[in-house]
Amino acid sequence: MRRLLRGALAQGARLFGTALAVALAVTLVSGTFILTDTVNAAFHQASADNGGTADVVVRSTSLFATQANSLPEREPVPESLLSRVTSIAGVKAAWTAVQGYAELVDKQGKPIDAKGLPTVGSAVTPDVALAAGRAPTGPGEVAIDAETARKNGLQLGDRIKVLFSGSTQEFTIGGFLQAAGDVVASTKAIFDQVTAQRVLGVEGKVDAIPVQAEPGVSAETLRARINAVLPDQYEAVTTAQVARESAESWTKAVAFLPTALLIFAAVALLVGAFIICNTFSILVAQRARELALLRSLGASPGQLTASVLCEAVAVGLVGSLVGVAAGFGAARGLLALFGRMGFQLPSATAVFLPRTAVIGVAAGVVVTVLAALAPARRATQVSPVGAMSGADGARTHGAGGRLVVGAGAGIAGLATLLTGVLGGGARPTIAVGIGAVGMLVGIALLAPLVAGRAARIVGAPLVRLFGEPAFLGRENAMRSPRRTASTAAALMIGIGLVGVVAILAASVKASASRTVDDSLRADFVLTPTGLGGAVSGVPPAVVDRLRATPAVATVSEIRGGQWGLDGRTQTLLAVDPTTVTAMHEVDAASGAAVRRLDDAGVLVRDTVAERYGWRVGDKVPMTFARTGTRNMVLQGTFSTNAVRTDFVITLGAYKANYAQIFALSVDVALAPGVTPAAGRAEIERALADYPVVKVMDHAQVIAAQGDQVDRLLVPVTALLALSVVIALLGIANTLALSIHERTRELGLLRAIGMARRQLRSMVRSEAAIIACLGASLGIVVAVFFGWALVASMRALGVTELVFPIAQLAGLAGLATVAGMLAGVLPARKAAGLAVLDAISSDR
Amino acid sequence: MTMLMRAPTTDTETRYPYLVSSVPAARAVNAVKLYGNAETSVRALDGVNVDFAPGCFTAIMGPSGSGKSTLLHCLAGLDTLTSGSVAIGETILGTLRERQLTRLRRDRVGFIFQAFNLLPTLTAAENITLPLALAGRKPDPDWYDTVVDVVGLRDRLGHRPAELSGGQQQRVAAARALVSRPEIIFADEPTGNLDSRAGGELLAFMRRAVDAFGQTIVMVTHDPVAAAHADRIVFLADGQVVDEMFDPTAERAIDHMKQLGG
Ligand SMILES: Nc1ncnc2c1ncn2[C@@H]1O[C@H](COP(=O)(O)OP(=O)(O)OP(=O)(O)O)[C@@H](O)[C@H]1O
Ligand SMILES: [Mg+2]
Repeated sequence: MRRLLRGALAQGARLFGTALAVALAVTLVSGTFILTDTVNAAFHQASADNGGTADVVVRSTSLFATQANSLPEREPVPESLLSRVTSIAGVKAAWTAVQGYAELVDKQGKPIDAKGLPTVGSAVTPDVALAAGRAPTGPGEVAIDAETARKNGLQLGDRIKVLFSGSTQEFTIGGFLQAAGDVVASTKAIFDQVTAQRVLGVEGKVDAIPVQAEPGVSAETLRARINAVLPDQYEAVTTAQVARESAESWTKAVAFLPTALLIFAAVALLVGAFIICNTFSILVAQRARELALLRSLGASPGQLTASVLCEAVAVGLVGSLVGVAAGFGAARGLLALFGRMGFQLPSATAVFLPRTAVIGVAAGVVVTVLAALAPARRATQVSPVGAMSGADGARTHGAGGRLVVGAGAGIAGLATLLTGVLGGGARPTIAVGIGAVGMLVGIALLAPLVAGRAARIVGAPLVRLFGEPAFLGRENAMRSPRRTASTAAALMIGIGLVGVVAILAASVKASASRTVDDSLRADFVLTPTGLGGAVSGVPPAVVDRLRATPAVATVSEIRGGQWGLDGRTQTLLAVDPTTVTAMHEVDAASGAAVRRLDDAGVLVRDTVAERYGWRVGDKVPMTFARTGTRNMVLQGTFSTNAVRTDFVITLGAYKANYAQIFALSVDVALAPGVTPAAGRAEIERALADYPVVKVMDHAQVIAAQGDQVDRLLVPVTALLALSVVIALLGIANTLALSIHERTRELGLLRAIGMARRQLRSMVRSEAAIIACLGASLGIVVAVFFGWALVASMRALGVTELVFPIAQLAGLAGLATVAGMLAGVLPARKAAGLAVLDAISSDR
Repeated sequence: MTMLMRAPTTDTETRYPYLVSSVPAARAVNAVKLYGNAETSVRALDGVNVDFAPGCFTAIMGPSGSGKSTLLHCLAGLDTLTSGSVAIGETILGTLRERQLTRLRRDRVGFIFQAFNLLPTLTAAENITLPLALAGRKPDPDWYDTVVDVVGLRDRLGHRPAELSGGQQQRVAAARALVSRPEIIFADEPTGNLDSRAGGELLAFMRRAVDAFGQTIVMVTHDPVAAAHADRIVFLADGQVVDEMFDPTAERAIDHMKQLGG
């Protein structure tokens, strides 16, 4: 056994590429875990820090936990409750907390951009920590966070404007707040209690009452005691509980991230598996003679399989360990990048759990061994005599099984995919995804059937361009279709997925733009600048000002919120039924339904109503965080994709059930005869005090939607690009191994007069042909899957199918060029061979 | 084919065409080749002086390790000398750079190895025209036909090497060496792996190339019968030319080898 292993170690260098492929994929796996763990730990840490010195918090009950990182959607608590709480035995101190929207404006009059993160205004509390100055007192004083002050060059004593939901006011900066352990850098403004209540519009009320326990009284005991005397609609919870809730809401908000990242990691591993399988196939073929010799010396088939598998385990282990370490580095790099972008995590150290290493290494090793299994089995099928005589005995073995599995996977995948396209099943998009994976595997397994012919066609222009060297390169690519096919297949997967994303993005953009063109009748749409955090939006005062502007004929506000249905979070939009249909033209039935809607009713998307078995007139039990479960009457259904949610209520119903006062967007129609330019000028003048609101015409709305798509698309493409990189690595690896195998041929070519330059050109041509094959297959696959995916997403509003031809062609071209570049090193190695040594080598 | 034959003008030229020319097709002067470092150095060539006349079929014989292959490699531009010089025609190889050497090998020299002469991916026809293709030239169709017919491979042109016998493979290699009309062809034990019939066919072919087309050939061989096909035998021992023989027969070659103590 040891002797067998030594043979394996001798080829260590040749396994370098394989180990690197494993390492890259595992980097993504472990990086994902480290990043997720770090972010979660940071959320918990920050949430715990935010509790301050209180042990228990008194607040209104909420019947429904909001999903995202919003400030809790709760009724305020009457200020009078404070005295009752203070009188409870065991309470050392209690105070009030008031929080709301307050955005700071810099010296130039522009709002200090918190990049969509909360801009919080609150009342001073006894446990506030000041970095400089004093706590604010009186109606004209504010304390702001030291970080914002530093970044904007604000000094103590400076005057600063603050935007509230109802007004803009000027204050004197009296103090700087010490940085608390916030998850995200947000701007903070603190006022004295009365001022805070006034500017935040909650006179006489507070959001919560934090309570400190006397020594010897546990938070839990105190909580129980307070709860016993509180009316039903209020509750006391420990700050630990609040921290937990807050951390959970954060964690939930980013929960999609690890799943998404792990999917990309799985893709990378799949691509890596192709390369591993290929490498081991080549190595086994090259060692056929050695293995046959061992067989004839009495090694059992089991021993040979074991020796190849040991090699796989070793490669997988080395690659995975490197990958885990690299994942740690990558996660730290990303965290640093987040910090640069403003998402400064309080605990800067990356969290590395043993679980990360275990899963990373296990994934790497298991994939490597699985991928090496078929080649390892083939090693044992070498008949001693056949291999000794130099015949390539391992060529056709297992071809039948491969075709059967390939055809099976392909057909099953196609069937699954088509059910998704036809809209069958609960989640058509997922059916398409699963079907696509099956088809990819099928195509990869069947590809060797056509790889030879395909290489001939793909290589034709190269041969015309570069002559004999390209011709020889093409012959080399065609001589082992399986090797060429599986190397190309790895690239196909990477390019295919990048292509699908490009098609999806183009289609989503086109659909959004189509919707705007078809249905948007408003002249302008007003939205908050930045990413639109939960506490910011278009302030109600803006709506009032717009109504008072003569150039504006109609103003229609749209708000959004979350609610619960059987414990699951849903979203809704709230509209003004009398004006919204003038702003958004929808199909007649949907429009009529909206116009009939009143405050007791809800409109539901037709497909959703069907899924729940609701009919018009039925009651829909909607649970609101503030007001509990309301039975809303289903007054109609709609089908239009112009509405980006499944549920619509009136603004009246919204105001009755939500404390939120900001609009997601406000649509504006100009008075007859007012030109767009004049209208915009007048609107902007009216909103001069509200720099947080941007005014968009149709083109700008389309552009903003495109931006949103791109913001998602860029990181996704970057992550998929890693798979492409692994596939390119595979090309380099395959070529390096092939060159080793063909040393003698290369020597012969040089001896009969092939120039080094021509030899390099030959190897690069082979690389380019493989890459071009993979890229073109990838584009074909992308076009098909893109079509399927978009078809399956029609119900989600993706109605247009767009193939970004230039982009796809560019992608294929880029991949081919990159493939050629991947061939540069092997080519140089080949050209560097000494002619005579090469000829007399035993390969 | 007759058109391509040189028309002999005098009796001497008919019998010994190489005696007439003054510039040799290839020449080695004081050629020395050392292998290894100072302590373990091997003098593979130890001051070789030899000329190869144009249109002459020369055999090189000598005991194993006497430096035959080394000499051939150095003459063909596949290897470089430690000292001394070799020339192809009037070109002194030592002055050439890598790129020029490559071009020389491609255009002016043909080489036939003992085995593994062909690219497995190419057909016989493609293998034959490979040096021309690398030069970006088309083969002269008449000459190509002639060569193919002389080698007797017309019905095997579409086959790949794996589908050809050893003898056929060597004949393809010979055709390849011939088709670009090099000034000189070097062959290192071309019949070493062939049985006597296949070897005989190849030798007959080479002989014909010399007689009919005035091709210059230098062939290393251990086989006196093979050497007897040549016009001249050069004997090498311990890296030096020790003797030569014109119009050899197999018997005389055997005798001579015995004298050399081979
Ligand atoms: N690459 C090398 N490194 C070291 N020594 C070498 C090398 N090639 C040849 N030699 C030595 O140079 C000498 C001449 O070798 P060469 O191959 O020219 O002999 P040869 O006459 O062709 O022998 P044979 O008839 O066995 O082919 C031998 O002693 C050999 O060991
Ligand atoms: Mg030799």
